[in-house]
Amino acid sequence: MSAAASATGLLLATALLAPLVLAAACLSRAVRARMPGLLWLAPMPALLAAGLLPAGTAIAFPVPFRMALALDQPGAILLGGAALLWSAAGAYAASYLRGKPGLTAFSVWWLLTLAGSLGVLIVADIAGFYLLFTLASLSAYGLVAHEQTDAARRAGLVYMVLALLGEAFLLFAFVMLAAGQPDPNPLIRDAVAALPGSPMRDGIVALLMLGFALKMGLIPLHVWLPLAHPAAPMPASAVLSGVLVKAGVIGLIRFLPFEAPLPAWGAVLATAGILTAFGGAALGVAQRRPKTILAYSTVSQMGLVAAILGAGLAAGDASAPGLAAYYGVHHTLVKGGLFLAVGVAFASGGSRRWPVLLLTGLLALSLAGLPLTSGALAKLAVKPMLGSGVLSIAVSLAAAGSTLLMLHFSAVMISETADNPPSSAPLGESLPWLAIAAASLLIPWWLYPTLSGGALASAWSLPSLWKLVWPMMLGVGVFVSAGRFAGLAGRVPEGDILVLAERQAPRFARLPAAIERLDGRLRLWPVAGLVLLGLVIWLGGGFLMAA
Amino acid sequence: MSALALTSASLFGLCGAALVGIGLFCIVGHPDLLRRIVGFNILGAGIFLVFGAVARRGAAMGLGGDPVPQAMVITGIVVAFAATALAVALLRRLASLTGSASLDAAAPAPPPRSDA
Amino acid sequence: MTPAYAATPGGLLLVLAVMLPAAAVLAMLVLGPRHTRLVALIALALGLVVALATGIQLVRSQAALIYVLGNWQPPLGIALRADGLSVMMLAVTAVVMAATGLFARELFGLDLATADGRLATSFWILLMGLWSGLNLVFVSQDLFNLYVALELLTFAAVPLVCLDGRGETMAAALRYLMFALLGSMLYLLGAGLLYGAYGTLDIRLIASASQHGPAMPIALALMIPGLLAKAALFPLHLWLPPAHAGAPAAASAVLSALVIKAPVVLILRLVADIAPPGSAAVAGQVLAVLGAASILFCSVMALRQERLKLMIAYSTVAQIGYLFIVFPLAGVGDGTAPWGTIAWTGGALQLTSHALAKAAMFMAAGIVAEAVGHDRIRDLGGFGRVLPLTATTFGLAGLSLMGIPPSGGFIAKCLLLTAAAIGGHLWLALTILAGGLLAGGYVFRVMDRALATPAEPLLLRKPIPLRLELIPLVLAMLAVALGFLPLEPFGLLQIGRPDMALAVSP
Repeated sequence: MSAAASATGLLLATALLAPLVLAAACLSRAVRARMPGLLWLAPMPALLAAGLLPAGTAIAFPVPFRMALALDQPGAILLGGAALLWSAAGAYAASYLRGKPGLTAFSVWWLLTLAGSLGVLIVADIAGFYLLFTLASLSAYGLVAHEQTDAARRAGLVYMVLALLGEAFLLFAFVMLAAGQPDPNPLIRDAVAALPGSPMRDGIVALLMLGFALKMGLIPLHVWLPLAHPAAPMPASAVLSGVLVKAGVIGLIRFLPFEAPLPAWGAVLATAGILTAFGGAALGVAQRRPKTILAYSTVSQMGLVAAILGAGLAAGDASAPGLAAYYGVHHTLVKGGLFLAVGVAFASGGSRRWPVLLLTGLLALSLAGLPLTSGALAKLAVKPMLGSGVLSIAVSLAAAGSTLLMLHFSAVMISETADNPPSSAPLGESLPWLAIAAASLLIPWWLYPTLSGGALASAWSLPSLWKLVWPMMLGVGVFVSAGRFAGLAGRVPEGDILVLAERQAPRFARLPAAIERLDGRLRLWPVAGLVLLGLVIWLGGGFLMAA
Repeated sequence: MSALALTSASLFGLCGAALVGIGLFCIVGHPDLLRRIVGFNILGAGIFLVFGAVARRGAAMGLGGDPVPQAMVITGIVVAFAATALAVALLRRLASLTGSASLDAAAPAPPPRSDA
Repeated sequence: MTPAYAATPGGLLLVLAVMLPAAAVLAMLVLGPRHTRLVALIALALGLVVALATGIQLVRSQAALIYVLGNWQPPLGIALRADGLSVMMLAVTAVVMAATGLFARELFGLDLATADGRLATSFWILLMGLWSGLNLVFVSQDLFNLYVALELLTFAAVPLVCLDGRGETMAAALRYLMFALLGSMLYLLGAGLLYGAYGTLDIRLIASASQHGPAMPIALALMIPGLLAKAALFPLHLWLPPAHAGAPAAASAVLSALVIKAPVVLILRLVADIAPPGSAAVAGQVLAVLGAASILFCSVMALRQERLKLMIAYSTVAQIGYLFIVFPLAGVGDGTAPWGTIAWTGGALQLTSHALAKAAMFMAAGIVAEAVGHDRIRDLGGFGRVLPLTATTFGLAGLSLMGIPPSGGFIAKCLLLTAAAIGGHLWLALTILAGGLLAGGYVFRVMDRALATPAEPLLLRKPIPLRLELIPLVLAMLAVALGFLPLEPFGLLQIGRPDMALAVSP
C-alpha cells in the first residue's frame, strides 16, 4: 500500500473513530463540561473524507478488530450530507440545550449515534455493518428518551422494541448471507454477489427488506417514527429524521443485488414504497404538531426512496443506488433544515418571524419538488429510471401529496408562531440552520451532472418544469378547495395504527400472565419431582427406541 | 454356587429397586421436610444395595467380591451422612426461624403455592 | 500393553488446581477466623497462576494434560485429565473466583460489623470449597469421583445461599439442597449401573467399549436428568430463582456464573463422549427442546420480575438454555466430531461469556442493593446518575446477554445462529433470535430505569467506593472483549479431543 493510499485510508478511519474518541473523552471531567461545544467538530473528518477522497478508498482494520471500510459513490454522497447535518445540528444543540440537565449523557449518546450512523455508510464487511447499525440504533434511544417526559418514554419504549426486532431480522439475514461464504465475515460486496444464487435467497431478501424497512419507516413498520422523532430535542429530531433513517436506505443499497434483477422482490419493495409515500402524506395531513407532520413527511419521502430502489431492483438497474443516494442526500439536508427551522421559528417573533417562515416554506416546498430547488433536481434525476409507466405516474402523484402535506405544515407553522413575543432566535441556532438551508439549496446542483448523466441545462427545460409543476398544482388545488384540514387535523393520533395495537394490549398481556402461572405450578415441589422422573422415563424410552 | 450367587445378587438388586421406589415416593410426595430427608436416606440405601448387587456380580469372576463398588458404597454413605447432617441443620434453623418444618410457609415464591 | 493414561509433564498442575483451595480451607481452619481473608486472597492469586500455567502448558504441548493418581491405572485408579474445554473452564473459574474474592473483600469491608465476622469467615471457607469442587469436576475422568466433586460443590453452594440466615433464604437453600440431592442420587444410580456393565468408571474407557448393552441407555437416562436438576434447566428450575436471588451478591455471582456450569459440562461430556451415537442424537434432541423452552419461558419470566436479582436469576436459567441447543447444532450423534464445529465453539463461548457477564451483573445488582437498600426495579429510577459505573457495568453485561456486538455473547449467538441456518434448524434459529429480543427487553427495563431522571433523585444509603464498582466493570469488559475473537472454531477446544479411540481395556 502506498503512502498516499494509506493516508486516505486513515482519513476514512478517522471519520469513524473521531466521534468515538470524543465519546471516550467524556470520561474526563474537564472535557465533559466542554463537550456540547465540540459536538459540531465530531463529523468533520467524515465531511472531509466525503469531499476529498476518491470512490474506492478502502482500509481494513488490523486483527482483532476485523472491520473494513470502503468509500463508494452512494456512500460518499450520503456521508457528505449526513456529516454536514450532524455538524450543523451539533452546533445548534450546543446553543439549544445550554444549561439544561443531562447534557453529558446527551453528548455521549449523540456521539455514539453519530459514529454509528456515519460508519454504516462506509463500512464494507457484514459484521462491521451490523455492529455500526446496532450502535446507531441503540444509541439513538438515548436521544429519543432524553427529555424524560411521558411521551418521550413511551416513544423510547416503542422505538427500542421495534429497533431490537429489526436487529433480529437483520442478524438472521446476515448470518444466512455469510453462511455460504468461505470467510466467516465476508465483505458485503462478495456476499451480495453470491446472493442471487443462494438457496436461501428469498428468506434473506425478505428479512433484509423487513429489517431495513423498519429503520426507514415504511408502512406499516413506521409506527415508531412519528413518536420518536418529535419526542427528541429539536437538533436530535433533525438528525434522527434526516440521517438515521438513511441507515435503512444504505442497507438496501448495500445488500440488495442491483446487478441481477429480482423482479418479484423489486415489485414488492416498490409497491410498499408507493403505498408508504401516499399513506405517510395522508396520515400527516391529519396531524397538528409541526414536528409530527415532518415525521410523517419523512415516512412519505422514505417511501419514494424505497420505490426508486424497488424499481431498480426489479429492472436490475445498477444506477438505482446512486439515484437513491442522491434523493437521500436531498432529503437529509432539507428535512434536517426543516426540523431546525421549527426550532428557530418557535423562537422568532414579530417582524423577525416572516423571513424565517418564508425560508421554511421554501424548504418545505423543496420536498414537494418546487422547481430550481434540490427537490426538483432529485425528482428529475430519478424520472428517467422510473420510466413512464404506472410507477412514474404514482411518484408524480406522490409529489402532489407532498405538496399538500407541506402546505399543511406551513399553515400550521404560521398559526403556531402567530403569538410569539417579538424576539429572534439566538445566533447559535439560526446560523447552523441557515448553513444547512444554503447547503440544501446548493449542493444538489453540484452533484446533479454526475448522477443524472444529463447536463444541468436539461433541468431548466420546459418539459422538465411541467413534470414538476403539474403535481404541485394538483396539490395546491386540493389544499385550497378542501381547505378544511382544520377539521381533519388531530383526528389521527400520533403513531396511528400503534394506538389501535395498544388497545389490544390487555390481550397480549395474557400470554405472559399465563406463563407466570405455569411457572408457579412447575416450581411446586411435587410437580418438579414428577417432571424429573418423567424426564428420566422420556429419555430412557427414547434411548431404548433408538437402540 | 453360581445359581446361588445369581439369586442373591438379584435379590439385592430387587430390594434395592424397591427401596429406590419407596425413597422417591417419599421425596416427591411428602410436604414434610423431615420425611423428605428420611426418604432421601432410603433412596440412598436402595442405591447402595444395587451397588452391592453389582459387587456380587463382579465376584462371579472368582474374587470374593469386587472391591470397587464396596469402596463406592462406603464413600457414598459418608456423603449421604454429610448431606443428611447439612439438611437437618438447615431444617432446625428454618424451624426455629419460622416455626414450620415445611418449605411452604417460608417460601417467598408466587402466591398459588400448595405443595402436595 | 500400553496404559490407557500416561502422565504428562504438566499433570501435577491439575492436582494443584484441586488441592490449592482445599489446602486453603485447611489453613483457614488452622489459622483461625482472623486470617481467613488473607489466606483466601493468597489462594486466589496462586490459583490464577496455576490456571495460567495450565493454559500455557496445554497450548505448548497441544495435548491433554493427564495425571494418574498414585500411578494406579484405571479401572482401579483415578485419572485427572484436562483437555481444551476443561482448561477453558479452569481459567474462567479462576478469573471469576478472583474477581469475586476482591469484590467480597470490598463489600464486607463496607460494614465494619461484617468485615471479619462469622458471615465473612464462612463465606471465605465455602468459597474455597466451592472452587475445589469446581476444579475437580472440570478435570476428573472418573464418574464416581465426579459424583463426589458434585456433592462437594452442592455442600459448599447451599450454605452460601443462606449465609445471611434469614428464614426466606433458609427455605431457598433447603429447596436447593433437596432437589440437588435428588439429582445426585439419580446420577449415582446411573454411575453404579455403568460400573456393573463395564467394570470401570473411567469416562474414556467406557467410551471406548465397542458394545453397549441396555445398561448404557438406562444409566444415561438416569444421569442426564439428575444433572439437569443440578443445572436447573427448565422445567427443573424450581430452586434456582429464590436461591440465587437470596444469596449475598458475591455468592450469587459464583453460583450463577460457575456452579451451575459444572453439571452442564458433565452433561456435555456424557452426551458427546460416552453416549453411543443413537442415544446421543436422542439426548441431543430432548435437551435442545428443553433448552429452547428454557430460553423462551424463562426470558419471559425474567421480563416479568419485580426484583432485580430475581430477574437476573431467571435470566440465568434462560441463558443456560443456549448451552443445550448446541447438541443438534453441533451434530452430536451423527458420527462427526462435534468439537470442531462452530456450534461447539459457540456453546463454549456462551459458557464463558455468560459466566463473566452474569457474575458482573449480580455484582452490579449487589452494589445497587447495598447502595439503595432494595432492588425493586420500579423504584430504581435514576440509579445511573448516582452509580454511573455500575449502570455501565449492567449495560455492558447486558450487551453480552442480548447478543449485541461487540461482545462474547454476540459471537456465541452468531455462531449458533450460523450453525442453525446451515443445518436447517429453523426453529432453533428463531428461538435464538426470540431469546435475544426478550433479553433485550429485560436488560432494557433496567437500563431505562438507570437513565431515567426521576422527580426526586435517588438517595444513596451509603457511599460506594470506586474500587467496588470497578471489579464488576472489569468482568463486564472482559465479556465484551471476547467479542473480538474470530468467528470460527477455536483450536483450543480441539486440543486433547480426537484421541478418543483407545484400546478396549480388559
